[in-house]
Amino acid sequence: MYRQGWLGWLFVAPALLLTCVFFLWPLALVGWMSLHNWPLIGRIRWIGIANYRAMLNDPIFLQSVRFTLTYAAAITPTIFVVAMALALLANGDRRFVGLFRTLWFMPTAIGLSTASVLWVWMLNGQVGIFAAIGRALGLVETDIPYLDSGTNAMIAACSMVVWKTAGFNMVLLLVGLQSIPSELHEAARIDGAGAWQNFRHVTLPLMRRTLKLALFLSITGSLLAFDQFYIITRGGPQNGTISMVYWIYNNAFSSFRTGYAAALSLVLLAVVLLASLAQFMLFRDREDA
Amino acid sequence: MKRMIIAAALLAATSLNAHAAEIALWARSRTEGYVTPLVKAFNETHSDKVTLNLIPNEQFVAKLGTAIAGGTPPDLMSIDLIYVPAFARAEQLTDITAQAKALPYFDKLMASHLRLATFEAKLYGVPFSAEGSFLMYNKALFRRAGLDPDKPPQSWGELTAAAEKITALGDGNYGFYFPGNCAGCNVFTFLPAIWADGGDILSEDGQKATLNQPAVAAALAWYHDMWARKLVLPSARTDGGENWTSSPATGKVGMWPGGAFTLAALKRTAPTLDIGVTFIPGAKPGQVASFAGGDSIAIPKGSKNVKLAWEFIQWSFSPEVQVEILAKNGAVPVRTDLADNTYTAQDPRLLIAAKAMAMGRTPYSFVYNDLFNSPQGPFLRMLQKGVFDGDVSGAVRDAQTAFTQIIDTGN
Repeated sequence: MYRQGWLGWLFVAPALLLTCVFFLWPLALVGWMSLHNWPLIGRIRWIGIANYRAMLNDPIFLQSVRFTLTYAAAITPTIFVVAMALALLANGDRRFVGLFRTLWFMPTAIGLSTASVLWVWMLNGQVGIFAAIGRALGLVETDIPYLDSGTNAMIAACSMVVWKTAGFNMVLLLVGLQSIPSELHEAARIDGAGAWQNFRHVTLPLMRRTLKLALFLSITGSLLAFDQFYIITRGGPQNGTISMVYWIYNNAFSSFRTGYAAALSLVLLAVVLLASLAQFMLFRDREDA
Repeated sequence: MKRMIIAAALLAATSLNAHAAEIALWARSRTEGYVTPLVKAFNETHSDKVTLNLIPNEQFVAKLGTAIAGGTPPDLMSIDLIYVPAFARAEQLTDITAQAKALPYFDKLMASHLRLATFEAKLYGVPFSAEGSFLMYNKALFRRAGLDPDKPPQSWGELTAAAEKITALGDGNYGFYFPGNCAGCNVFTFLPAIWADGGDILSEDGQKATLNQPAVAAALAWYHDMWARKLVLPSARTDGGENWTSSPATGKVGMWPGGAFTLAALKRTAPTLDIGVTFIPGAKPGQVASFAGGDSIAIPKGSKNVKLAWEFIQWSFSPEVQVEILAKNGAVPVRTDLADNTYTAQDPRLLIAAKAMAMGRTPYSFVYNDLFNSPQGPFLRMLQKGVFDGDVSGAVRDAQTAFTQIIDTGN
């Protein structure tokens, strides 16, 4: 018995060590920093929970929480609908299906910040392709005014993210789709189920695990959104598109208030944990039912 | 025994250093154009060497801060002059008051740089590059609109009237242009309009916001009036600075404010464009102002070789650097007594740039970036709300509150 316990610890030791060095220790440091006035240059001063209290009087922080949740709520279903549609199209033996699958998946291979830079120039009023198409169709006079209102800026950033991530989600969903034995669909059809009923009562329930994984990845990803707003909208117009990570970054590397940024990071960690927990509960309930 | 070996090794290392010392200079990548040739020239003429480390613009201060906090600062740094107050207050810079004041041309150095490099009566930096703001205009469009290309506008009213005539040409021509979504660009070109009108946005010591002065609202109302009457290129609203030079390069913009770097870029990308240059005006004729931008050079605390660092600084003030490297590259010398030189004689527009710089001003603040340059800062929000939304009084009120809050948090 003793020997086995000892061996067990040995096997988990590397993972434990990595977790401690690269997660728990930095996390403890962040917690320690968050209790200080910790400028990047200059003297460090203990201030207790003043950083946490300051958040309540920080209008941009409160706005960034609201914005991040709105963004997550808007982008997740959009990605899912598009990815599911692509997956259904890409599933099967139609002509050129392999080619389309590859094409739809391709944007995934591009980094998020690279994709953002690409879109900045595609959206540019003078040299961008969207404005050129808009002008050719007579829809716009000079350029696509994607930065003149918060909604337009959000649509611009969301379009990029959907374009960028739908392919990856398609592959995830495709795996789920293809793991469903075709006999089940046949049986449903024999029982008189139409295409929609087949999808709703056979496909969806059997894909629960896949959906759970994809949802987890998508929601966590959107709560941590940064690149697209940093690069495409720069948080504008008039601070309409500042995500939580963006505000953390800003405080740490533009205002050099690293202590405050540490406190914000811990709050973000709590939000992500809560969101994950909520999803966990949601899916577990259904499994029990 | 072990200790003795280490001591001997250290001794050897220091004596090697004494032969040909080497120091590291950090600069932001935007300054590459003149810093690289400057360092090269120094290394070619000196036995001691300077190694240049160029860091991407946006990461510069963060990298520098981390290096200083980690105990590995550079020996010398060229930094945007606006950051010097914060670094000086945080006790990160070497006091160079005595050496600097001993320079025979000390009183000829850019005054605004020196003001920002002074903290509690001590000097922590000297000018390294200079950039003044001024108004450029398209002479061909002036002629077509029936305006005299040798008589550029002298006041806000004259500028608006000229913009109206140029816009009336139609065919996609617009009278005025500015990158309306770029914080730093407009600090550089819009603040001078407020100053020219006799107003200011901060108190002298940077501890009080003074946006409620009438000149601020007046300047915003002037820009808004041009915007509302569609005298401004529509893409101005969303341009984050990407099209600052490419918009006038199309030849369809009558007037636009900028700096020597804008002029240099336009000379390169649109060589046929006939550009006139004048000062940024105030509300009344004769009122002019300019922003004083550029870099200061400073010696961080912990520099390995302060003596060599100062030698490099002193050398950078010599005419062969100021004229043959800076002026030759279209930049403004940091010594006003060298402003008039063979290169400004070739392009008199550069003399206006130098004169603008010499009278230039810079806000003094420990939280400069948060107030002015940040895309999320209150300055840009005020501009957008006042000029594009037309809510001038609301914009000023919000900005006054936000400025005050940020200044208080920074103390």
